[in-house]
Parts: sequence; structure tokens; C-alpha cells
Amino acid sequence: MDQRNNKLGWLFTSPYLIYSIIFFFIPLIWTLFLSATDWNMIKPTFNFEGISNFADALKSPSVHAAFWNTYRFMLIFVPIVTVLAIGVAVLVHGLSRFKGLFLIGFFLPYLSSGVVSALIVKGLLSYNSPINEFFRSMGFDIDWLGTPFTALFIVGLILAWKFTGYYALIITSGLESIDKEVYEAAAIDGVKDSQRFWRITLPLLYPSMYTTLILAFGVTFGIFTEVYQLTGGGPGNATNTWQMEIFKQAFTNLQSGYASAVALLASIATFISIFIIRKLLEVWGKRNGWV
Amino acid sequence: MKKRNSVLLAATLTAGLLSACSTGQGTATNNNSNSNSSNNGASAGGVTTIEFWAAPNPTQQAYWQEMAKAYEGVNNKVKINVSAIKESPTSEASIQAAIAAKSAPTISENINRGFAAQLSDSQALVPLDTIPGFTDVISGRDMTKTIEPWKFADGHQYVLPIYSNPMLFGWRLDTLKELGYDAPPKTYSEILDLTKKLKAKYGDKKYLWAKADLADPTAWKRWFDFYMLYDAASGGNKFIEGSKFTGDQKAGEQVLTFVDNLRKEKGILARQVTDPFETGTGIFTDIGPWTFSTWAEKYPNLKFNDTYTLTMPPVPDGVDPAQSKTFADTKGLVIYASASKEQQQAAVDFIKWVYSDAANDAKWFKQTNLPPARDDLSTNDAFKPILEENPQLKPYAENVPNAVPPMDNAKYNDLQTIIGVEAFNKVVKGQIAPADGWAAMKTALENALK
Repeated sequence: MDQRNNKLGWLFTSPYLIYSIIFFFIPLIWTLFLSATDWNMIKPTFNFEGISNFADALKSPSVHAAFWNTYRFMLIFVPIVTVLAIGVAVLVHGLSRFKGLFLIGFFLPYLSSGVVSALIVKGLLSYNSPINEFFRSMGFDIDWLGTPFTALFIVGLILAWKFTGYYALIITSGLESIDKEVYEAAAIDGVKDSQRFWRITLPLLYPSMYTTLILAFGVTFGIFTEVYQLTGGGPGNATNTWQMEIFKQAFTNLQSGYASAVALLASIATFISIFIIRKLLEVWGKRNGWV
Repeated sequence: MKKRNSVLLAATLTAGLLSACSTGQGTATNNNSNSNSSNNGASAGGVTTIEFWAAPNPTQQAYWQEMAKAYEGVNNKVKINVSAIKESPTSEASIQAAIAAKSAPTISENINRGFAAQLSDSQALVPLDTIPGFTDVISGRDMTKTIEPWKFADGHQYVLPIYSNPMLFGWRLDTLKELGYDAPPKTYSEILDLTKKLKAKYGDKKYLWAKADLADPTAWKRWFDFYMLYDAASGGNKFIEGSKFTGDQKAGEQVLTFVDNLRKEKGILARQVTDPFETGTGIFTDIGPWTFSTWAEKYPNLKFNDTYTLTMPPVPDGVDPAQSKTFADTKGLVIYASASKEQQQAAVDFIKWVYSDAANDAKWFKQTNLPPARDDLSTNDAFKPILEENPQLKPYAENVPNAVPPMDNAKYNDLQTIIGVEAFNKVVKGQIAPADGWAAMKTALENALK
């Protein structure tokens, strides 16, 4: 590469570099510094606390809850959203007309405000809502948002509703890229219609599914709005998440130093988890001969 | 030529990116700044500019804008910029961020004692009593008694209370009448008797107290359940004074036992319920005067002394209900230490002018329904027409002296969370005995206060 092209490369990458320096590297260094202090955003002094914020966070029941709840949300959200997204994509792909219209319809929840959808769900699940009146008349009196499992499940379900259309869009493009000749060849080789999905479609969808799975796992580390609106992290700490914990410590308890330590722990947990999940997905793909 | 174009493109991209990062807040500030000022607004051309942050609600913002305009009309040496405190994510966090970014206002309202304690601990506030003219505000507004409990442990006043709202309990009078009551019960055993009758008649259709917050540990929610009952049971004990736990064990255990007994009688519904009091699912709940304007639009069927009535919190058996105390939902004004001396003085002069005329407080009361923090609220003629026109506000006005403000401890969020997590929420859910809950809460509070 000659020097002229090299300069042009720097030029075109400069917006992202500047963006990264301002919004990633400087805040990261600042967070590292804050995590070792007792600063509360308004104190004129920064008292050095060493690793005590990290030690406190590692002992905190609400941080433990945030850590484990991420994986609980994964167990609920990822399978539901994956199955629904594949189902929607296959159904829409099979349509002869109005494919785009249906995809837009399924994509709309992704554009909707998390606050609004959470508030609607809150109204639907309130004790005196028609839905609950109906359930009670059938003998089921369920405290949807006040019971740990149902609260987790409801939040997972809202997220699945929100993201299904988005992931279906990605999977649809994966379906579009499968050559029809593959199906024709399989038919000649005696693959039955009932086996087509499992033997051809699913393996060839692996690249787009890999993308949606990684995105879906990533979502669980950033859950905030739905939990904030619906449960506030409760009952107890049953739906507390990393983002909720950071928010509570930084903006409710006004402990910016401690919140910075929690944020760094959350980052470490996220990077390690996503790395392991990626590796597992790659091994899974290779073992089945999909990549 | 190509090199020049590349440089030009890079400069444009950089400028565009950096301008996108700007909040735009700096422009006006810089126009007015001088060497004496460390924040927005200052003296320029003999005019002192002060930034006033109003509570993030249109009524209060409109009130302060009106006051600022009127004051500028009589004092052309002061310019007051009124804007609402941003609520994202909370008004407290916005103030914190502004202080951290050295762009705090001169003066702001909507400050409770707990947050004021955090701010004063961090040297972000001016002790108001050190600014000349502040004592004139107190005497001019007739608020000597009301402001007394606001004094901080260091002997200074950091907050000037604007409104002091004694929180009251509302009762569904229509349901009470159906059960044979002409007036709400006032003691714990009377309420338990009522609960038994209510459940016998309505089963799971109606509860005494239907409110999801009762099981929620969020700190501020204790102001509207535990503190209201505790203030009544303890005769207004401060619970925490400075950094000392001073809770009244007998009163605290009585409150928790009362809640436990209500739970045992299935009188509590700590679940998400849509407008439980308004729809009649619950017949007893805490009510602030801000509720009435919403009701007028959304629930016009709710009429004072017909469908509902208001009382001070119930008391334990053997305690005189007439002596009941309650929690004061009260917020006030603070002046920030980052403002210049001229701005601080101009802010006090502005407040002094506003509160020198009771008509301004009457205007506030009429527009916001929030009782001005004055000793003469129920006796001053300026407020009588408002109270006659809005009889539901009378009990609030009458009980201003019976209301206890929040603690002045900087850790109030942690401390109030402990009350919920260790005792109140657990008792509501039937997870702990009242005496054990009180003991666990006391130990946790004392540890947190060390």
C-alpha cells in the first residue's frame, strides 16, 4: 500500500477513531479511575478507595442477582426469540405476496418504545385487569410481576416480542440466499418434504442464525427499560440486571465510584460470556459440518 | 489540491463530530460570563443574571416564570432565567451532573432534605442563613415554626421549604357507608374490625390497602407508608437524627404489627393494581393534594365527603387520634455554592420579594394545590377563598404543623431501602415477625450509619 492510500485510510477511519476516543477510551479510563474512588459526582474531592468498591460489589447480593439473572433471562429469551424468529421468517418466506408488508408488521415492535410496551403490559397484568379477572374466575390467581419466575418470564417474553421481527428480518435474508437448486437436488436425492427444513434449511441458515444468536445473547446483558418500568428489579432481586444495578447505584444511591466498579464487573462478565458463547456456537457449527 | 481537499474533509468531519457532541448549553452561558462567575449567568452591564431551575412540572415552571417576569419589572438590575430541571434519569441526577460539569444553576427548587444533605456534605450548597436578608424571608413569610425542623445538624439552614404537604390517608366513604360506618376508623383495632367486615362482604373484590409499593424496597416509597404510620404512632419521632438511629421501638413494632395483622386478615393487596383506590379495589390509601386535579378529569365521580374523605394516619390503640402526626412531603429552594456572591445575593433578594407578599403564596397554592410552607396557612385571609373553594385542601392546610419532614442524612436512600428490605416489605409479605423485622432493621441501620 503506498503512502497516499495510507493517508486516505486514516482520513476515512478518523471519524470512527475520534468517536472511539471520545466515547469509549476516555470514558473507560475515567471509569477505571472512578472505580477506585468514593466520588459521588458532586464532591470536590476524590478519595482513593483502592479495590474496596470491587470487593463490596463482589459481596453484594444485588450484584450476585444481576449476574445470575442475565443467564436466567438467556434461558427464557434466547430459545423463545429464536424459535419465533425462525417461524416468522419461514412463514413470511413462503408467502407469494405481501412479504414486505408482513415483515414490516413483525418489525414494528422493535421500533416501539420499551417504556410504552412495558406500561401496557403492566396495565394488562394488574390485579384488576380483565385478563386477571378472567384467570381468577377460572381459579388461577397469579401475581405476575410479584412472583420471581413469572416476573422473569414476562420480561423475557416482552423482549422476545420486541426482537422477533428484527431477527426474522435477518433470517429471512438468510432464507433468500439459499439456492433453490439445493432443494431440487435434495428432492432428486429422495429427501422428503417433512425433512427439508431440518436437513437443508436449518444447516444453510447457520450463518444468519449465528448472527441472531450472538445478538440475542448480547441483549440479555443490556436489559434495562422493561425491568425498570415493570419490576424495578424485584420482587426482591429476582429481575435485577447489570444495567439496573448500575443505574440504581449511580443515580439513586449517588455512588458513582461504586457504580463504576459494578459497570467494570459487568463488562468483564459480558466479554467473557460472549467469548465463550461464540466459541460454543462455532464448535456446534463445525461439529455438524455447517461451516 | 488533493491534499488540501483531504485536509478540508478531515476538518469538516471532525468539526461535525465535535459539534454533535455539544449539548448547546454553553452558548448562552459564555455570553454572560465574567471572571466573578463560575456558572451560568453573571453580572454584565450592571445586570446580574441568575439561573433558576424549577421543578419538572409545567405548573410550577409557569409559576416561577411569572414571578421572575414580575420581579424583573420592579428590578431591572436582575435577569432571571427560569427553566425546568431535566428529569432524565432523575432530577437529582441532573443536578448532580450539572454540578459535576460546573454548570449548576444559581438556585433550584424541588429539593428534599435528604438530597440537600448529600449536596451540603459535598459542599455544593450555600448555608442560606449566611446570606444577608435570609432572615427577612423567614419573618416576612411567617414560617418561623415551619422551617425550624429543617435546621441541619451543623445548625445551618440549607433549604428554604416552599411547600409542606402533610400526607393524609384517603378513605372510600361510599364503601364505608355500605359497611355501616359514617366516618373512617381512627385506631388500629377499629381498622382491623372494619377489615373483617369488608372481607366478609366483598371477599377478593375489595381490600383495605391495595398498593404494589408496599412490597417494593425503593427508598422513597417508605415516605408514603411506613413513615406516615410511624410518625403517627411515635408522636413525630425523627427516627434518624443526623447520624444517629433514634427510632421509637414500641411505636415501630406497633406499626409493623398493625401491618402484619392487616395481612393476616387479607386486608393488604401488595400487587400491581390499576388505580386501586379510584376503582374501589382498595378503600384506604395515602393521598397527596396533587391527586385532585387528575381526579377532576379522570374520576369526576370522586367527590370529597361524599365518595371519599381524608384523615390523618391511624394511631395504635390507647393513643389519642387527635395527636396524630404524619410525614411531610416537602421540598424547597437551595442556592448553589458555585454561584458568584452577586448571584447568591440576587437570588435571596428575589425570594425575599416573592415571599414578602402572601398573594404570591396564594397564587402558588391555587395553581399547584401544594400547601405553602407557612405557619399561618389556615388563618391568613389570603388563603381562605382557596380553601373554601377546595374543601379537600383544608385538612392539608390544618395539618401543616403536624407534619414531620424527611431525615437530613446524606445516606437517606440506603437507609430507607433498609427499612423496606429488612422490615416493612417482609412484614407485608408475611416473611418475618414484626419484632424480628424491627430488630433486623435497627441493626442494619446502625451498621449503615457508622
